[in-house]
Amino acid sequence: MSRLSEIPIRIEPPPALGGLGGGVTAILSELISLLERLTNSQESAAIDLRSLPMNVDDLAELRRALGEGEVRATLDAEGISAIRETKVPGVWWVEHRDRHGELMAELIEVTRMPQILMTASEEIATGARLLREQIALRSVARRPLTV
Amino acid sequence: MPHSDAEVTVGEMLRRHGISRRGFIKFCTAAASAMALPPAMGVAMADQLAHALRPSVLYLSFQECTGCLESLTRSFAPTIENLIFNVISLDYDDTLMAAAGEAAESARTKAMQDNFGKYVLIVDGSVPTGAGGAYCTAGGHSAVETLREAAKGAAAIVCVGTCSAFGGIPFADPNPTGAWPVTAIVGDKPIINVSGCPPIPEVITGTLLQFVTTGKVPELDEHLRPKVFFGNTIHDRCYRRPFYDEGKFAKSFDDEGARNGWCLYELGCKGPTTYNACATVKWNGGTSFPIESGHGCLGCSEPGFWDKGSFYAAQSTALWGKAGESSPREVLELTASAVAAGAVIGVASAGVSRLRQHRSEQNADERESNGDN
Repeated sequence: MSRLSEIPIRIEPPPALGGLGGGVTAILSELISLLERLTNSQESAAIDLRSLPMNVDDLAELRRALGEGEVRATLDAEGISAIRETKVPGVWWVEHRDRHGELMAELIEVTRMPQILMTASEEIATGARLLREQIALRSVARRPLTV
Repeated sequence: MPHSDAEVTVGEMLRRHGISRRGFIKFCTAAASAMALPPAMGVAMADQLAHALRPSVLYLSFQECTGCLESLTRSFAPTIENLIFNVISLDYDDTLMAAAGEAAESARTKAMQDNFGKYVLIVDGSVPTGAGGAYCTAGGHSAVETLREAAKGAAAIVCVGTCSAFGGIPFADPNPTGAWPVTAIVGDKPIINVSGCPPIPEVITGTLLQFVTTGKVPELDEHLRPKVFFGNTIHDRCYRRPFYDEGKFAKSFDDEGARNGWCLYELGCKGPTTYNACATVKWNGGTSFPIESGHGCLGCSEPGFWDKGSFYAAQSTALWGKAGESSPREVLELTASAVAAGAVIGVASAGVSRLRQHRSEQNADERESNGDN
């Protein structure tokens, strides 16, 4: 046996895992209900994907079913979060990762805009204060020096 | 303007450390996910915590291997450092703190005095009572003395790991040090058992976060474990469950069934009788859990897991609760039930604790007189 390729090995097929099976259809049905609720009562909702016994194939199937939409946002706070609207308007796929890139939470949000993207009222007030301070500093800098 | 760290809210402390509101929402969303709470709770939790004061936390390490603390400090990010310094005020942990000797012990005493009745006591490890408690001492005090003293002013006790919750490996036969779980020593305080060898880091931080957020002990099962994490068996939420239902089982660790990812029940998996969140929260930041790596569940979050026969014998052949079990295990189950009842109805079960303690000391004395040690 002179060549590596002549060593008799058998490559095992990838394991056929269990997982949700028909559960992807159930999630899509649930999303219809949540979209109707958002339309009728303005009530947002979310599905926590990590609470479901989904395997890699289930997740891939769900991603394919929901597709890619027009909006993608990246949040850089204690790690990167990818927030994108799927091709189903009002259905957002949200991935929160930590500073090491590990997945902390994975959600499907049914909402007009994920709340984490919105600026809080207290932050808006802080923003106005920061701008006032900046204007004050600029006016001090422009004042002529007197001896 | 607050004068001391004790008066600083979580939100203020976050700002001081440069953690944004959105970063904290992410942390709370991950924690809510780990706690099986509705995802929207993450935002609500972040808002509530931002205005809460940071509770004082004391972490006592007794007869343990430090695996639980290793698990906790490798928790998801924002890391435990953030949790420790922003959400809670960790006033004593002799493994993590820089201070040693008298400085460390006086930090513990001061925190207990300043926060009497309000602090959270975390206990890691079982409590040896044999030889007058001499098997585990620090600063000239035995573990059992330190626990009793620290428990007096605690608002709640969180037992991290199977050793403090159920005795764990030190409690396993022949239990040479007379080890006991915290419930056998303290009977008049709310106790939350976060079992596991080690517990899942997200389960530890999630339990602490839930207590800090609500100020209340979460709903517990009969072994005093938070139901949000211990409400389902591993088997209930296992991705291999469809194969169990179809009767497809791996017969050895390298047969075709194992390669096809079939159910590991016949290889000794204890998933059907083990309550924990491994199948959903998973390990290493949600990467996988033992069954996903091809090994059955050991049942490490259940009382007496070390004494329940071979890890590799199918449950149908393993003798769970076999006849003639040693009395400590029976006493443990009695104790857990009694303390659970006490926690639920809010009645102090100090009498039960004293009885258990008396029995444990008697047990240790008998062992010593028999020359077992």
